Formats: sequence, C-alpha cells, structure tokens
Amino acid sequence: MKTLAVVVTTPPYSHLTITALTYVEAALVAGINVIGVFFYQDGAMHANKNTSIASDEYQAIAHWQRLQQQYQLPLHICITAAEKRGIACDSIDNEQVNKAFTVSGLGELVELTTKASRLVQF
Amino acid sequence: MSTLHLVRQSAFATNDFAQCLSVLDHQDSIVLMDDGCYNLKHSLMDSLLKRVDGTININVITTHAQARAIETIATINHIDMADVVELTFNHKKVITWQ
Amino acid sequence: MTIIEQQTPAILPKESGLAIINSKAPFSSNHGKDALDVALIFGSFEQKVSLFFQGDGVYQLIANQDGRLVSIKDYLKTFSAFEFYDIEDIYACQQSLVNRQLNETFHINDVQVLTSIEFGKALNRHQHVLRF
Repeated sequence: MKTLAVVVTTPPYSHLTITALTYVEAALVAGINVIGVFFYQDGAMHANKNTSIASDEYQAIAHWQRLQQQYQLPLHICITAAEKRGIACDSIDNEQVNKAFTVSGLGELVELTTKASRLVQF
Repeated sequence: MSTLHLVRQSAFATNDFAQCLSVLDHQDSIVLMDDGCYNLKHSLMDSLLKRVDGTININVITTHAQARAIETIATINHIDMADVVELTFNHKKVITWQ
Repeated sequence: MTIIEQQTPAILPKESGLAIINSKAPFSSNHGKDALDVALIFGSFEQKVSLFFQGDGVYQLIANQDGRLVSIKDYLKTFSAFEFYDIEDIYACQQSLVNRQLNETFHINDVQVLTSIEFGKALNRHQHVLRF
C-alpha cells in the first residue's frame, strides 16, 4: 500500500502552496492513500477562519476544504505554530479555527511519519 | 539508495540548488518546480549536465517552466504533477530544497 | 561432492528514522527552533532522528554565540540536551564550514564533520527527510 504524508510550511497566500495542493490532489486522484497533511510553521495560518483572500486570487483554503470533504483527507494544524500566529486554539469551541482542520500537536507529525511510506515537504 | 530531489528555489537567489547537488547520488532524480525552473539557465545546471552525462534523471514541470517563459532543454524530461507523484514512489525518499 | 550454493540475501542496512537538515543561520529566522522542536518530539517518542547541518545551518553549531545580546531566547543551549533524547547522530558539512572560514569548535560534543559524499551517504541511511 502506497501511503503518503505531506508537510506544508507555506501560508495560504503563498503561490508555493498551490504547488502543494496540486501535488496532493494528483496523489489522491492516483489512488494513493494520503494519510494526512500536517501544517507547520507558516502553514498553520491555513486554519485561520478570518483569512480573507481577494476573490479573484487562488483560494487555497477552499481547495484544502474541498479535498478534505471529497477524500476525507485529514488536515492537521500544529497548535504551537497556530497560536504563535494569532489563531486561538484552546477556547471552548475554537471559534477562530476553520472546522476543516484538526488542531494537533507535533506528536501527530511523529505518528504520520512513522505510518507513511513517503513523507513530502512543501 | 535513490532520492527524489524537489528543487523549488532559483540558484540565482539561494544556495539550495548547490546544496542539493553536493549530496546528489548517481541514482537520484531531480525535479525542478516553482522558481527552481530558473535553474535550467544557471551555470550549475550546465556543469551538472556535463558531469552526469545522462546518468541522473532531470525533470522539469512543464507548466511551471512555461508560465515563467523559460526555454526548456531537450535533454531533460518534461513532466506534470501526476508524474511527480509516480516519481515519489519510484524513489526511496524525497528531499525538498526550498 | 555437491556444492550447495547457499543463497545469502544481501544484507543492506534498512533506511530508518528521520533526518532533519538545518540550512539556516540561528537568529534571523525561526527555522532552527522549529527544526529543534521537531527533533525533540521525535526523540521523546523514542523515534530515531538525526540532525544535519549544511550551508548557513552550520552557524547553529558554532561555539560562543549569545542570542541574549539580541533579545533572542537562546534555543541553541537546548542542543546540550540531545543525549537525554537519544539524539546521537549529529552531522556537519565540512565544505560548508570551510566556505565560512569556520573551524570545528562547536558548542556541543559529538558533532561528526563529514565530506559532501559522506554527508550524502549519511542522509541516505534515513527513511524520511525534512529540511528547515
């Protein structure tokens, strides 16, 4: 079984994130078992519900949400990286966190890395 | 013992491509993507092509090069993202130079 | 007399664990600290993790630095805790040191200085690689 874990370190407004998304979607279309995407460093900014990107620009967050729904793709954000960037994760209903993302710790990255046959960083 | 190297930065701006080349093994493959496509015109690429003489598999993502109006070279492979996924599993590991 | 050819499978050391390449100088960005956090969590989960220092990353190893002078919490001090996390394989790229006119005076023990070829071979002994 081909299993893949992906680490995303670029923010939602970076054009480099488009490459990450295109890659993950190509893997899913090819039938690869993508066991999770871990958003670290500036990647954690994807989970901010208040992010608003001009409608004529690439909607990275909407595309991650689409992949999450279509393929049940687990999207993990690193809690430390998110809180450092102003996304409060510890409030009772995580008001600032986009519901497509799961708030996780770095332990989740360990889990994904040990389970995946390939780890790819973007 | 093969590694897939994803090169995403221009060697005119950073040392990432040079660092990648310093650990390159003869069974490895390179994919130029994003600003890494600019490396097609860098002297490091000229010397790499002379040095490896076809033993290293060098690829560029066609749309990423075309978008940047970079003339591509006949001696390297033109691929799309589905090919990158395939290369991921044809190699033992992936290193991203960004 | 028959000679039975015994088939011995080639013994290749299986690639395992995570290699982290550090490529940035310590103080102007968070990359070094973010990489350190990943290394320590792998260590505390008893997963094999090795650290590689290449390019400006070798500046993270140099002795006598003091981040406090520029108001930075000196995460480099945490490097001395690596042995408690069973992080034993720490490699520095010789060429990167030479290019920067640095000698091999590090603020932690047991750093192995490797040529580019050895550095690449050591990387190859790992299953996964992250670079910061």
